[in-house]
Formats: sequence, structure tokens, C-alpha cells
Amino acid sequence: MASSSAPPWASEVGLGGDQAPGRTRPASSGLREFSEQTEVGGVFLQALMRRQLRLSLTIALAFGAFLGVQPLLSAVWSPWTSWRLFGVPVTWLVLGVGSYPLLIWLGRHYVRRAEEVDEEFTDLLR
Amino acid sequence: MSPSLAAVLGLVFMAALSLGAGLFARRFSRTTSDFMVAARAVSPRINAAAISGEYLSAASFLGVAGLVMQFGYDVLWYPVGYAAGYLLLLLFVAGPLRRFGAYTIPDFAEGRFDSPRFRHLAVVLVLVIGFFYALPQMKAAGLTVQTASGLPYWVGVVAVAVVVVTAVTGGGMRGITLVQSIQFAAKIFAISLPAFLLLLRFGGPATPFAPAPGDLVRLPSATTYQVSAGELWQVPRRTTMEVRGSVLVTWSPGDPVRSPGSVTAEVGSSPSPTSTAPVPGQRALLLRGRVSVPGGTLVWRQTAEVTLARGQPAPYGSATPASTNGSWSRPFGPLAGGSGHPLLFTYSLILAIVLGTIGLPHILVRFYTNPDARAARRTALLVLVLLGAFYLWPPVFGALGRALDPSLYGNNRTDAVVLVLPSLLGGWVGQLLLAVVSAGAFAAFTSTLSGLLVSLAGALGLDVYGRWLRPGAGAQRRRVAFQISAVGSGALAAGLGLLVGQFDISVLVGWAFAIAASSFFPLLVLGIWWPRLTTLGAALGVALGGGLATVAIITTMLATVSSPLERFLAQASGLAVILEQPAILTVPLAFGVMILTSLARPGPPPGVAAKLVQLHAPELLGLRSDYIPE
Repeated sequence: MASSSAPPWASEVGLGGDQAPGRTRPASSGLREFSEQTEVGGVFLQALMRRQLRLSLTIALAFGAFLGVQPLLSAVWSPWTSWRLFGVPVTWLVLGVGSYPLLIWLGRHYVRRAEEVDEEFTDLLR
Repeated sequence: MSPSLAAVLGLVFMAALSLGAGLFARRFSRTTSDFMVAARAVSPRINAAAISGEYLSAASFLGVAGLVMQFGYDVLWYPVGYAAGYLLLLLFVAGPLRRFGAYTIPDFAEGRFDSPRFRHLAVVLVLVIGFFYALPQMKAAGLTVQTASGLPYWVGVVAVAVVVVTAVTGGGMRGITLVQSIQFAAKIFAISLPAFLLLLRFGGPATPFAPAPGDLVRLPSATTYQVSAGELWQVPRRTTMEVRGSVLVTWSPGDPVRSPGSVTAEVGSSPSPTSTAPVPGQRALLLRGRVSVPGGTLVWRQTAEVTLARGQPAPYGSATPASTNGSWSRPFGPLAGGSGHPLLFTYSLILAIVLGTIGLPHILVRFYTNPDARAARRTALLVLVLLGAFYLWPPVFGALGRALDPSLYGNNRTDAVVLVLPSLLGGWVGQLLLAVVSAGAFAAFTSTLSGLLVSLAGALGLDVYGRWLRPGAGAQRRRVAFQISAVGSGALAAGLGLLVGQFDISVLVGWAFAIAASSFFPLLVLGIWWPRLTTLGAALGVALGGGLATVAIITTMLATVSSPLERFLAQASGLAVILEQPAILTVPLAFGVMILTSLARPGPPPGVAAKLVQLHAPELLGLRSDYIPE
């Protein structure tokens, strides 16, 4: 996916959007830096890892909060454990049914974003 | 439960299908790469079905339903946690590990840290986790064959070991991938269709939550129990029984429902007739004909045949703490509430299950069968979808079991609820579905065992033999070593499987998860994402976390056979919870040790930058090189 504007980490590594017009850098210099693991390449890699990790952590925390809140809620505010929907306790429906669509949705969101991040990174280096 | 021809046919059909597919695939397995990672040419769809097939073990197919029937709401953390573990795998591990291109966790340990010694440590843990995880599968095998055919427990264990070993030594990973994707289809069909039909026939999902007199489980029809001498019953309320002939019993007063903790403690020690401590109010009684027994604990001193009329409160055996419908259906019921520290117990359970998935040795191998990281991520996402579709159903079985066949409580056979309920549909439909669930159960434990056996045999044959004992062995000899190890591991797992009949399937699985969560999970997450992790830090964390979790769990197992230990743990209930569910302590401990050691004695392994490039650089850059070349 070719991004029209500079990718978000461009400023972090001091490249991209703020380049003076007319000043071109060789198309593959980033790739060479990167594959030869020079100091600049390390900065590239760190930027990529940081973005991927931030994405993963955000999604993990979102689902962690969904799971983690339920026992706490049951402990401090027990009325919700008596709620029923069509005769089935709401606690069962939220945990035993609702978890799966949420998991799948989060997973799909992640795969899309992670592929975007990878592609933006590739575009930057090429 | 009488044996059923249909169920036996279901088992035989699945066994033949698994063997046939495994042997068929043998013709395509030529190289080691074929054998170990199916030449990395499996499409995400087939691979996802195979991964799900392997992941949905007997614990998922039989155990979760049985535990839900026993303990209610608190057990829902198991299926949700099993599925959520996959999300974490997708988020943190799937893509990078596939890029790194190592086959197994020991490969990763060695490759990331350039340390053969660390590899040895990882191999040892693979063996510990693998065998722990194989035990419940073996128990399920014995139970299923016993329920279906009436043959002894050991027949099932041995038969399954033979089928699995044949499939693994024959076709290797390529054969297994084909077999497991077929087995996934069998499992999801076998769990969803009967559950759906049962819901239609017996009044929908609200049935188990309908109000009942005294808030107790009532027998839906007249039920005859065959009890043997020494068997224990928890009688929740005054119950009328029809005893054939006259039978000697010991009865002690008490309220099994109101104080489940005390009864469980009593249950653990009561079968030994040598216990001399007199229980206050305990009485020896001779039951004859139609009698009314008040609430309390009943130990049958003789073999007996007892009939309870429809509407009587269902008695509980020794395996399940008696519960009211209210405490069963609410959070912190008999499972978490019985521990005395419900919140601590619940959080520790969630941690172990969610984090343990990543560390299971046989799960990760699967990701190397993807062609690249992009496919690995998409595969993991597909697995999530398949798991979600599957995990809806086992709790349905468990909850319906409580309403429709509570005699399983008295007979201590809740683990068999999935295998028993379909026959309630009656006629040929019931028989057909019985065949279907039996086939599904067979698929469940054989597919997981196949994956485990590949990992165990890989660790033993390729590592222990191929690297420690005979480092110079050629490819052919190592392949033979792999096959011999597969036979040996299968035999050992079967032998151990004969010993674990008394533990719940899902509880056994939970322990394997706890050890994996405390060792390989921190290793993989920090190893992939934290450049400053040192070899010493990683090794110490794995050894301490995995070691302590193993010790804690073995202590809990020993407590069931040693009464001084059991009494001590009954006093220190906080300690008992930690020992039974150690993850909440050992996971942060492993992380802490890894991070602090790495910071205190810095010096990441040489070439860490290159390793990180391998882990994280997108394939599109064309820099890829596998750690292990084809």
C-alpha cells in the first residue's frame, strides 16, 4: 500500500516528509543501510519494532481489559450477576458468547494494521 | 450407560480415516523438510484447519463440557482463555517467529541466543510440558472407548497410542497436517450439531437456568444407581431412596451445599476406612427398602442398587462439590469460591490459560508450515475464527448436562457428558449422533496427541539423540531416531495415562498451560521484542519460572495421595491456591528475573541486530533467509 503522506515514523528517523524538495536520495540507500545493519539501519528497525509492538500491545490490552473487568465487576457489584436475557444469565452470554466475535474482530483489525505497517516500512526503504 | 454399537462404529471409522490419511500422505513425505514442516507449502486455509484440529484437544471436546457441568460459570474462562491465547499468539509471535524460520522452541532458543546449552534447557521443558499435556489426552481416550464400548479403560489408551504412533512415524508433519484438517471438520460437526439439536428438543439455552424447588438439581426421571463399596454420596437435602435388599452405610450430618469447602476436604480423605478420627454425629445405618435420608454425607459400605424417583434432589459423588443452581450459575461458584480466594484464583487461572497457549511446544511448530509471515498471521486469524465457532458449544453441552442427566454427578462421570447426552434424543437420531460425537472425541485426542508426539519425538530423536548423544549422526539415522522416539514417547505417555484416571481432563491441561506460561511465554515475547535480553537472563527466567510452576503443580498432585500434605494445605489456603494455580506468581517472576538479570549484567548475545532484522523485517524487502536452510 503506497501511503500518500509520509509514514508516521518518518519523523522519528529523520527522513521522509521534511525532506527538501529537489534533494533526492538513492532509492535503495535505506534498504542497504538496513540490510548491512549500520547504525542508521538499527534506527529504522527500532522504529518498525516500536510501531508493531505498540499496535500489538494496544489490542492485547483491549481484550485484557474486557476479560479482567468481569471478575472484578462480579466481586464489587454483584447485581449484574442476576441479570437475565431470555432466561440465560447475562454473565454467561458476555463471557461465553460475546468474547468470540470480539476476539475475531480484534484479530482482523490487527492483521490489517500490521500488514499496513509492514508495507509502509517497505515503501520507505525502497 | 450401556455400550452402543453406533458409538463403536464411530470410533472405528475415525481411526480408519486417520490411519488411512496418514499412510496416504506417506507417499509425499520424502525430505526432512516434508517430514518436519510439510515443506512449508501448506495453504493458510488447510493449515488453519490443521492447527485448530490439533489445538482442540480432548480437554476442549470433552473436558470443558464436563467442568461446566461440575462448576458452572467459573469454567467459561477455560474456553475463552484457550481462544484468547491465540489472539496473543497472533499479536506477538506468529509473524516474527515464522520469519526467523526455526522449527521449534529449542531452535529459537539456540538461534536467538547462539547458545547450545540454552537449547538443552528448552528441550527439557518441551519434554515436561509435552508429557503433562499428553496425559489428559490419554485419559480422554480411555474414557471415550470405555463409554462407547464398555471395554476397559486401558484398551482405549493403548489403541489410541497405536493409531497416533503409526500416523506420526508414517507420514510425519505432512501426513499429520492432512489428518488434522480432516479431524477439525469432524470435531466441529460433532460438537455443534448434537448440541444444537439438544437445544431444540429440550427447551433452548434457558433450560439449565430455570428455577427449581430448593434451588437444587432435580432428577428429570427415575434413576437407578449401581454403587460400589466405599463410594461416597453428598446428599444435598432430605432424599427418598429405594434400596434393593439391605445395605450398610455410614452417614454424617452436614450441609454439602452451604459449605462446599468442608465437604471437599472430607471427600478427599474419606475413602480410607482407616481414618480413626470420629466425625461428630456420624452414624452407621442399615438402609432397607424405601428410606428417607436427611442431607449430609453418605458412604456406602456395600455394593448396592438404589433407585431415586423423578424430582428427587440429585446426589453428588466425590468428584464434584454439591452446589445450588444459584451458586453454580454465578461467578465464584464451587470452583473459584471453594478455594477461599475467588478473585486470586480466577485471575491466576485466566493468566495461565491465556498466556500458556504461546508456550505450548506443539502449537508453535505449526507456524513454520506457513510459507511466510503474512500467511502465518492470516492463518492465526483464521484459527481464531474456527476456535470461536467451536468454543461456543462445549459449555452448551455442560449446562444441558446439569439439567438433563444429573445422574452423572452421582456416578462421577461428568467428563463423559458429551458422549452421553446425544442418546437422549432417542431412536436412530440419537444413535447416529452418538456415533458422531464418539468419532469427534476420537479425532480430538488423536489430533492433539499427534502434534505432541511430533514435538516430543523431535526433542528426543533430533535433540537428545542427534545433538547430545550422537552429534555426528546423519540425516537418515536421525530420522530413524525420530521414529523410534515417537514409538517410545507414545508408549511412555500411554503408561502414564493409565495412572491419571482420577484427575479432571481440563485440570490436567491447565497445569501444562501454567508451566508453558511461566517459561516459554516470557522467553518468546522478550526474545522477539526486547533487544537487550541476555542469554543468562533468559535462561534463568525459563529455569526459575518453569521449574517453580512444575514444583507447585507436582506438590498439588502429591497432596491428593499424601494426607499430611493435604491437611497442611487445607490450613494455608492462600498457599494452596498459589500451588494449584501458580501462574499469577510464576509468570511475573519469570519476566522479572529475565529483565533484572539482563539489566544487571548487560551484554546481549553477539549479532543480536541481525537476529532482530530476521525477526521483524518484512518479507517484501527480500532479505529473508531461514535460520535453518531448506
